Amino acid sequence: MNKIISNFLSIGSGVALTLKLTFGGVFIGLLLGVLLSVLRYSGIGRSVINRIISILRGTPLMLQLTFVYFMAPSIIGFRLSLLSAGILTFGVNSSAYIAEIVRAGIESLPKGQFEAAQALEIPRFYMWKDIILPQVIVNIFPAMINEVIALLKETALIATLGGMDIMRKSQTIAAEQYDYFMPLCIAGIYYYGLVLFIEFIGRKFESCKSYA
Amino acid sequence: MLKIREVCKAFNNINVLKNISFDVEKSDILGCAGPSGCGKSTLLRCIQKLEIIDQGTIESNGRVCFMFQDFQLFPHMTVFQNLTYAPTLKNKNKKEDYQKQAVKILEDLGIESKANIYPGALSGGQKQRVALARSLMTNPDILLCDEPTSGLDVSTTMDVVSLLKSINEQFGVTMVIASHDLDFLTKISDRIILLKNGTITIDINAQEWNDPVNFLKAYY
Repeated sequence: MNKIISNFLSIGSGVALTLKLTFGGVFIGLLLGVLLSVLRYSGIGRSVINRIISILRGTPLMLQLTFVYFMAPSIIGFRLSLLSAGILTFGVNSSAYIAEIVRAGIESLPKGQFEAAQALEIPRFYMWKDIILPQVIVNIFPAMINEVIALLKETALIATLGGMDIMRKSQTIAAEQYDYFMPLCIAGIYYYGLVLFIEFIGRKFESCKSYA
Repeated sequence: MLKIREVCKAFNNINVLKNISFDVEKSDILGCAGPSGCGKSTLLRCIQKLEIIDQGTIESNGRVCFMFQDFQLFPHMTVFQNLTYAPTLKNKNKKEDYQKQAVKILEDLGIESKANIYPGALSGGQKQRVALARSLMTNPDILLCDEPTSGLDVSTTMDVVSLLKSINEQFGVTMVIASHDLDFLTKISDRIILLKNGTITIDINAQEWNDPVNFLKAYY
């Protein structure tokens, strides 16, 4: 029993890194994704943005993570910490998917909403900020929750670079105890618990933001 | 008030408006009739500059406001926010004035109890009034109404007639109303133009509409 509790606590210490990577990545992904989507919809740099999104979605996340972590010193002149490299990579990668989600959300709005804003002489910036994006965010929320959950699970890739997240902690304990079953089950419980928590927050937000 | 000269508009090489010309005097209500797809909405959208005309000129004296067929209220804002958002954005110092104006207009239109409700919870007739109230908040000189009675029952349509008439008399707002409902247009308009295949085939006073010749022209 003590062994189970000890393993639970030990693997649980990796939750902080997993959450930092997930929410840091989602934050960057959301900012960048919305920006890319709005720029593309407005016709600014459309072909370049399409190409960037295509590359980000068309290459493995593992490759991108390794590239950012190991190639950063030769490109920007200094080494990124594992956390920074992780958040940056997960964020930029996620932005490609979020940009597509936001695009679908924008296109799902009636064209008349843009025209009504135009007819009322609402400046472009405020049209996006106060009229279009608030509606888009409510519409895309279920898809965004999916993206957060997917990103949470993808953060396990940081273990391959030595990041002590839930996955890496469980692997370390498994190697120490020559027993993979219990540590991996505990890691699974942690991941599943976090996913349930994100789903719960998502449902709460959806019920708050639905206007009738 | 509104001067339209030889306006042409095409979509994908299909001429939707062909050399349209007419004038609208101040405080007049012009009804724009015609079957579906004849170019009524396109004409209104061109006047509002939601479409760029290919040829001709559109001159308007004063502020033009557009009331959409499906209202296009902002669903994430309450009725009150729908009314006050755009004017307040232009002049933040007059926020209180705009709030008072919004309350007054809502009272005038009989929907003051709906101020804090989201558009999704309103009936078609109530949405119609909110859309009208939002347009009036911009103090328009010319109001363009695209199919204001589509989807409304007879009784609500009659309410719209008296509502638009009272707005016209009270504020002196010039109106151009597009509708396929000839009965509604004859009740509300001073003058009616009939569009057919992108051209004006009839341009008469509303009273003349009962002339059987004009009636036949409209339908055949």
